[in-house]
Amino acid sequence: MATGRVPRPPHRHFTLANGLEVVLAPDRQSPTASVWVWYRVGSRNERPGITGASHWVEHMLFEGSPRYGKGEMDRAVVRVGGELNAFTDVDFTAYFSTVPREHLAVPLDIESDRMTRALITDEEVARERTVIFSEREGNENWPEFRVEEELWQLAFREHPYRWDPLGRKDDIARMSAQELRDYYRRFYGTRNAVLVVAGGFEAGPIAEEVRRRFGPLPAGGESIAVREVEPPSRGERRAELAGPGTTPYLQIGYRAPAVGDDAAASTLVLDAVLGGENRLFSAGGGWGRSGEHPSSRLFRGLVDPGLAVRATSEWRPRRDPGLFTVQALAAPGVSLDRLEPATLRLLGRLAEDGPRPSEVEEVRTKVRRTAALAYEGASRTAFRLGYFSVLREPRFEDEIFAAVLRVTPREVRDRARELFVPERRVVVRYRPVAEAVDG
Amino acid sequence: MAEARDPLTIRYLEPVGRLTVVRQDPPASAASFSATYVGPGGWGFDAPGAEGTARLVNQLVTSAAGPYDRVELARRLDRAGATLSRQCAPESSEVTVWGPADAWEPLLGLLALVVQRPRFDPDDVQRARRQLVERQLREATQPAHRAERELLLGIFPPGHPYRGTGLGTSRTVRALSRERLRRFHREHFTGEGGLLVVTAPARDRAVRAAAARLFRTLAEARSPTLRAAARRPSKGSKRSVDLPGRSQVEVRLGGPSIVRGDPRYPAAFLANEILGARPLLSRLFQRVRERGGLAYHASSALEAMRLAGYWVAQAGTGGDRWRRVLPMVTGELRRLRRENPSPTELDLIRESAIGELPLSLESTAEAHELAVEAAYHRLPEDHWRRWPATLRGVSPTEVREAAEAAFGSSGSVQVVVGPLGPA
Repeated sequence: MATGRVPRPPHRHFTLANGLEVVLAPDRQSPTASVWVWYRVGSRNERPGITGASHWVEHMLFEGSPRYGKGEMDRAVVRVGGELNAFTDVDFTAYFSTVPREHLAVPLDIESDRMTRALITDEEVARERTVIFSEREGNENWPEFRVEEELWQLAFREHPYRWDPLGRKDDIARMSAQELRDYYRRFYGTRNAVLVVAGGFEAGPIAEEVRRRFGPLPAGGESIAVREVEPPSRGERRAELAGPGTTPYLQIGYRAPAVGDDAAASTLVLDAVLGGENRLFSAGGGWGRSGEHPSSRLFRGLVDPGLAVRATSEWRPRRDPGLFTVQALAAPGVSLDRLEPATLRLLGRLAEDGPRPSEVEEVRTKVRRTAALAYEGASRTAFRLGYFSVLREPRFEDEIFAAVLRVTPREVRDRARELFVPERRVVVRYRPVAEAVDG
Repeated sequence: MAEARDPLTIRYLEPVGRLTVVRQDPPASAASFSATYVGPGGWGFDAPGAEGTARLVNQLVTSAAGPYDRVELARRLDRAGATLSRQCAPESSEVTVWGPADAWEPLLGLLALVVQRPRFDPDDVQRARRQLVERQLREATQPAHRAERELLLGIFPPGHPYRGTGLGTSRTVRALSRERLRRFHREHFTGEGGLLVVTAPARDRAVRAAAARLFRTLAEARSPTLRAAARRPSKGSKRSVDLPGRSQVEVRLGGPSIVRGDPRYPAAFLANEILGARPLLSRLFQRVRERGGLAYHASSALEAMRLAGYWVAQAGTGGDRWRRVLPMVTGELRRLRRENPSPTELDLIRESAIGELPLSLESTAEAHELAVEAAYHRLPEDHWRRWPATLRGVSPTEVREAAEAAFGSSGSVQVVVGPLGPA
């Protein structure tokens, strides 16, 4: 395989007069068709007082429009054997449906309707408030969620990355239906959206159908630019949380570059060497949680010698500068006072010596091999084409792929030296409060 | 391969010794391959006092094998663009390799290696023990995991292979010697009672020949048989665990159910879809979340296995809202057992379940899961092809009757775990 391009299925990319970007990826053999609408709107577009608005709007877009009463969207898709769902991130929100190919018109109709005409009624907002609380409460049952939320809150004082997409509890409690409607009308529109259709269809007729359904929509969607720029941090920040549980847990974050930065490729390789995760080119969703990677530095340095039972790293590419994180779950009997210095020493060694050439070559090989399988099926194809479109632009995947394959061990070392310094560091430690366990 | 692919039909090939071998076509245009070995090595086989054995063995077989220590095995997988995954259940232990279709034969060789020649390196054993002990502690204090554990303890009597979650205790896990793990592996990763499912763009003959060559050691090995302990008459029970400091209470209602081979299974499957399994349309989702606005998740599951089964209806909610959710769930269960679903509701749920089949054929990994399920339960080769007709043949009365059997109130258990607050 040539090294410069990702082996993607053929696709067409065009923009309607109202600003809606469209990507069509037909595959005649596919038994399904998948429709994704990606909005370049996420929790980074919120402000204090309405944190969690993007996520709440995500819920409300299933609750009705003039054409579809409450529950009718769900029924329309599910009754033909399709599935539909949505998720909210810091930088974007995605709504998707995958249906047997002969029913492609169903999700196209729904998405063209709810892009501008969701109702978001007072009654439904009131009812959904508890559901949103419940979703957040489910997450709070995990110490990992509490720690991660604290870490970002500590690392950022200005930028909206400081809150989780689920939003703050007090905002969920008081946000009004009108505020949600205002937020929806302000940002959700053709200019901030990318429509991706992949799967079993002919490109010509579907391009026409897309123009017919989405072309008449008014141009909408205010600028998604975020004005707040996080000033450089001038020293380490740290916090210690105490709570229920049995296992001490550690997260260390370092202020890290944005996806558009020249350092993105070497940061991705650094993440792969440390934690083992091939984040952008894995065959799954591409930005999920890390698994276990016995050949990674963190596994060999912390899990093998018995200091941790799990140790991973994560640099999830974001539109604005974010965090490179390292997380470790202590092994039984190991205190955070042992685990944290061991983790910092490991990061320091990588910054000092850099990775071995063979480690970087392993990452390149893995990226080449898995990128070739990442586009299996209509849903994954639509996910990936849309994800790269909202992260930067459609051709970004090729650019970052080629850049990753060019990264040298020296560049990874330089990146580690630049990132892993105390001034950029944020540490959150979770100390479980002793409780009886009848294990 | 010249023939059109048909991933909905599996083919039982001539066994390799005692090992059942099954092949499936990957979906059209799929570029990946999957193969799974399923052996009779679930935690139901754990000896008393040695709980945790099956889970440790399941973890360790994917860690290091033959000439490869854990680092080298991981590197070989990475170089191939492949992954090894594992799953341990009460009845079985499962290992799956996934990777590029053009490397299916070498990857099948890697699966054969880990299944037949795991190393159980002493430091790997130590690490796996530490990880399992930590998991025991964490899951005992995490509401969702604890609720699952309490449910199984309530449904199945002592000695039953499905009782518990196979994690053991810190005492049993720390006492497991390397030799004991090796012996469990020898006795439970066998040809007899074992199954190899291969989803690859290759002819039957090629797959059979590769299996015969690669799984020689395993082929003739005999396995023990899992037996369900005689059930005591169940009285039903209520279990609650107060875990202060958490945000959400997990509610579970469950009970014993039918086996997968029960002729009422298709009707029970539909009953489960109606109750809580069909996304967005189910009664629990509609009642608890959409109309009640009380919880983010509310669903049900029917775990019909070879020897026994259980059902569960579940929800998670904060504050004291669980006190309002619980009667809603019990009310929906009562209704399921007592009333036929309307033809309209049954039709909607059924056509949704049928229409979903093509979605299971989007990728090799998803199609492969269908094949493993069919082969594990020894279903006919054309089971999934006939599944739509089977479901369309189920009447509303049969759904209600199956619900009485598969979601019965006899021996049912109620579990509430989380920050319960004052009674």
